[in-house]
Amino acid sequence: MVMHTVSSYRFESLEETISQLSKEDCQIIAGGTDIMVQHKSPRGVPAKFEKPIVFIDHLKELKKIYQNNQDIHIGACCSYSELLKHPLIPKILKVAIQQIAAPAIRNRGTLGGNICNASPAGDTLPLLYIYNAKIKLRSSKGERLIEIKDFIQGPRKVKISKDEILTEIILPEVQEEGTHFVFEKVANRRADAIAKISFAGSLRLDEGRIIDARFAFGAVGPTVVRFMDIEQTIVGEAFPLDNMVIDRVVAGFDRKINPIDDHRSTAVYRKTVALNLLRYFLKKRAFKEGHRIN
Amino acid sequence: MIKFKLNGKEVETSAPPTLRLIDLLRDEFDLIGTKEGCGDGECGACSVMVNNLVQNSCLIPIGAIECADILTIDGYSKTELFKILSDCYSEAGAVQCGFCIPGMVMASAALLSENPNPTEEEIREGISGNLCRCTGYNMIVDAISLAAKKGDGIW
Amino acid sequence: MLNKDISTSVKKKEHDGKVSGQLPYISDVKLDTLLYGVLYRSPVAYGKVRSIQLPPLPAGYEKIGAEHIPGNNFVKILKEDQPIFANEWVNYIGEPMFMLVGPELDILYQLLEQVEVDIEEHQAIFTLKEAIEQKDQAGIFASHEFGEDLDVIQSIEKNAHQVIVEEYETGYQEHVYLEPQGMLGIYKQDEILVEGSMQCLYYVKNALVSALACEDDEVRVIQSPTGGGFGGKEDFPSMMACHVAVAAKVVKKPVMLLFDRAEDMEVTTKRHPAKFKYRTALDKQGNILCMSVELFLDSGANAGLSPVVLQRALLNSAGVYKIPHFHAKGYALKTNTVPNGAFRGFGAPQSFAAIESHMGHISKKANRDSIEYKRNYMVKQGDPTITNGKFKDPVLLEDMIMDLMKVTDYAKKKAEYRSFNQKSNRYKKGIGASFFLHGCGFTGSGERDHIKATVKLAKTENDGVQIKISNADIGQGVLTTMSKIVAKELDLPYEDISFPYPDTKVVPDSGPTVASRTTMIVGKLLERAAKKLKEQWQSGVAQEVIEHYVHEEMIPWNEEKFSGDAYPAYAWGINFIEVEVDTLTGNVRVEKVYGSFDIGKAIDERIVKGQIDGGLVQGIAYGFMEKMTSKSGRIQQKSISDYGPPTAMDVVHIESKLFDNPYAGGPYGAKGVGELPLTGGAPAVQAAIEDALQISFYQIPVTPEYIIESLMKKAGEALD
Repeated sequence: MVMHTVSSYRFESLEETISQLSKEDCQIIAGGTDIMVQHKSPRGVPAKFEKPIVFIDHLKELKKIYQNNQDIHIGACCSYSELLKHPLIPKILKVAIQQIAAPAIRNRGTLGGNICNASPAGDTLPLLYIYNAKIKLRSSKGERLIEIKDFIQGPRKVKISKDEILTEIILPEVQEEGTHFVFEKVANRRADAIAKISFAGSLRLDEGRIIDARFAFGAVGPTVVRFMDIEQTIVGEAFPLDNMVIDRVVAGFDRKINPIDDHRSTAVYRKTVALNLLRYFLKKRAFKEGHRIN
Repeated sequence: MIKFKLNGKEVETSAPPTLRLIDLLRDEFDLIGTKEGCGDGECGACSVMVNNLVQNSCLIPIGAIECADILTIDGYSKTELFKILSDCYSEAGAVQCGFCIPGMVMASAALLSENPNPTEEEIREGISGNLCRCTGYNMIVDAISLAAKKGDGIW
Repeated sequence: MLNKDISTSVKKKEHDGKVSGQLPYISDVKLDTLLYGVLYRSPVAYGKVRSIQLPPLPAGYEKIGAEHIPGNNFVKILKEDQPIFANEWVNYIGEPMFMLVGPELDILYQLLEQVEVDIEEHQAIFTLKEAIEQKDQAGIFASHEFGEDLDVIQSIEKNAHQVIVEEYETGYQEHVYLEPQGMLGIYKQDEILVEGSMQCLYYVKNALVSALACEDDEVRVIQSPTGGGFGGKEDFPSMMACHVAVAAKVVKKPVMLLFDRAEDMEVTTKRHPAKFKYRTALDKQGNILCMSVELFLDSGANAGLSPVVLQRALLNSAGVYKIPHFHAKGYALKTNTVPNGAFRGFGAPQSFAAIESHMGHISKKANRDSIEYKRNYMVKQGDPTITNGKFKDPVLLEDMIMDLMKVTDYAKKKAEYRSFNQKSNRYKKGIGASFFLHGCGFTGSGERDHIKATVKLAKTENDGVQIKISNADIGQGVLTTMSKIVAKELDLPYEDISFPYPDTKVVPDSGPTVASRTTMIVGKLLERAAKKLKEQWQSGVAQEVIEHYVHEEMIPWNEEKFSGDAYPAYAWGINFIEVEVDTLTGNVRVEKVYGSFDIGKAIDERIVKGQIDGGLVQGIAYGFMEKMTSKSGRIQQKSISDYGPPTAMDVVHIESKLFDNPYAGGPYGAKGVGELPLTGGAPAVQAAIEDALQISFYQIPVTPEYIIESLMKKAGEALD
């Protein structure tokens, strides 16, 4: 009986890391909070990995947060706790991050990891979808940008080549002023929980009319879902929205969302609650500051 | 060879980098204070401090702790701050079966070092990753609150 | 420290070791030549084993199976139906078939994956519903019927204004003790020593004597510091002890069996799911004319402790009420699912959830406030119990209720919440109450006929005193409370009393650590032993005193007829709980929790508060949070977060109060406290949710899914 151990790398720089990725198909580990659970063995037995490991959570190049014009750039290996403390991170994203697991996980888990783990219940994902977040990937051949909705393909499936690494998440044209956001995570308890359904929405108003509307739902399908065709139908509408418009939008989502039954909840519940939260947001007569975490 | 600081001492290990920190602590360094309640990062019994931040040692591959400063309950229990927490845990009746307690103490310590005067809500959030099935948490919340007062100025 | 008032709290005996993490639990123990065991578990729910094929085992690795058991291949509990290693028939998914033993866990798990078993599958019974439908063919582990004649009930129903028929269901509850199960078997020349996480040393020991077919002094059991039990380490550890003991005897080396969390959640015992069917006849004014209940427990694949759990469920089926013409019938039924066992409350939480729910629903039908309605039926001192025993001691329920109604400002709050709910679309608030009791100690004459507890106190030449009992500290504070009782009686400092973790070589059988009996029964024996020691005290001389259980005079218990005094004493409690329900998501936020309890006298206020807080939080979570389901014989929630026990953020401070009501049969008047506080949580939270939403619920947990479904139904009805 042979115990095989895989080789592992921990380079001092991103350059060296990328160079290694161009030579060998590796398993990248950032915070490891998801990957260590997925690869865990029964008690007393080390985690099992098929590919060589590359540790990246210490790379300073991946921990920067900065603004470029209106775009906010977030290094892939920023931990949730680091994001919570950073002034450039939008408030509503902090609301979502604050609801991820518990402090110990937030001290270790990273935004890049949450994206690459590509769970339909990933807590930051609905907001990243409505931000039209762009994912920056780098390899020895260069860099490319990809929209988050194209990057995430399904549960645990992302569009990344073996030689690429996710370096940055870019939130383009972040305009907190004048835009109203909502994020609701629905779970079986108030901490250390996986979302049964989550909802993110934003409405941007100008002189009593909606000029931009975005809605995303988590845990109702294989990926977070957004339907831009429906969103477009309320652009130009007067705010507060007319009940007929609200009914139409909700009915639109009703036709498109198809959640499943599993050990955490039921399809009926997920759909009903998703539509309830959407309707509640659309029915708002006015927006005020502050957010209640449910 | 992975080198890091463990409870104030420079140490090294030749164990495989995918080994979990909890296993390294318990099996190689015989530090039994860090307990395993789930292995999924969902109970907090294995909480340790990594560079002064509370983390779940069951989720950390040791390859990731090169050069890190690791503090476990075994080391922390030799400090003055620990004595305050220990006394307050006793005074508040916060310890029942005890299995969650070492991790709970590490989470308490991390919370207080970052926020020496936490509100009740902040305390609850600070220990929200530490499951306790015996106490219903309230006496632990009281203990931390008491420790904040007793250790006023030194956290 | 000399104790003035016994209730004044002291530092717990084992505090320093626990808080520093240095007190070794079984998984912290290291030995040279230690081998690990891993269990091969049945992949099918019901079937006949045709063959087992093992991969070639490397040197130092062994298969331990039924063929190695020198004695009986069953775990001695009540019936001989729980195999140590299932080698002929398997009755549930996860049932241990054999164990592989060796030095490296990694290799053991690899070997386990290569095992091939051939099992002839038979039609299994997966749900309680199927078990009820097929109960005559499928298997009844136990049944009892008692109370008013059915002819009388029928004629009352015939003349009644209306007969309310209701069904009610309760789900699984998983213990989630923080320390997963663990057991170590050590081979010695002249004995097999078993150490581990457990509540009942002599249950384990008796199981070992039966399995190993050995003499009493050839096995020895030592309790390790135990990271929580709640009943989960009452019956289950006996099986693991047999596994490691048989293995250790074969390989002549120490063998450790440690469960990881997923394994612990999938295969260890849980609280019995239950179903209740009520028929209650009312007159025009809504007064109860008669009530009959049929209850069914899902026992899982083995009888285990189910027959006794059924007894307690039945004994509590009328709650704290004196119901005219009451009739009850109950069954413990077999299903091909993981065996259910002891869990804090032992059948009572199911029954109290059901009767409190039913009484609440009747009061709504009668258009009366539920508290006022229930108070009409509340038992009083001198009243008969439902088994024609007698509530001979004072019953303080009425005082407790009056007090909490004042403290919570109940009437005003009700009005406030009504007007809040009219204005608030999304969030609705409600308040609910529950009233309950817990019979302390074993049912009926169990203490006298089965347990026959014995305690010892040993005094050294240095005048130090050691407590020798088999009761286990599992976090509830036994080391401390027992030491306090002895210290107080002997006028010695509490620190002078030693109480090491029990070892059957040293301690007599003072009974298991169950049924809220340790403080009341064993504590009383220690009080008497200490009195005796004090009388005989000779400084500088080693002395030992022994005390045996003495049965209190009561109306004799007849298990066949289900009549007489089921318990020597009762502890009582009431809860008021306030909630806010999010009608968009069905999520419930518990906002206020009140509890008042009569546990006789607190032996240590802080320890009692810990029991109240912890028990109540478990009970509340049982009512609306913790959801475990089984699908085709498999437990679906295998991780803590999927099951969802409360975190610190799900809990609020609990305002609790004790009502002193000393019981002469307990030490310093103490009665049991362990189980009582759990019992009222679920019914109070259900009542509060019902109050907030003005909807009746018929099962617990009242999950967000159930709430949303009920709200949709209500909206649909409003449209019709």
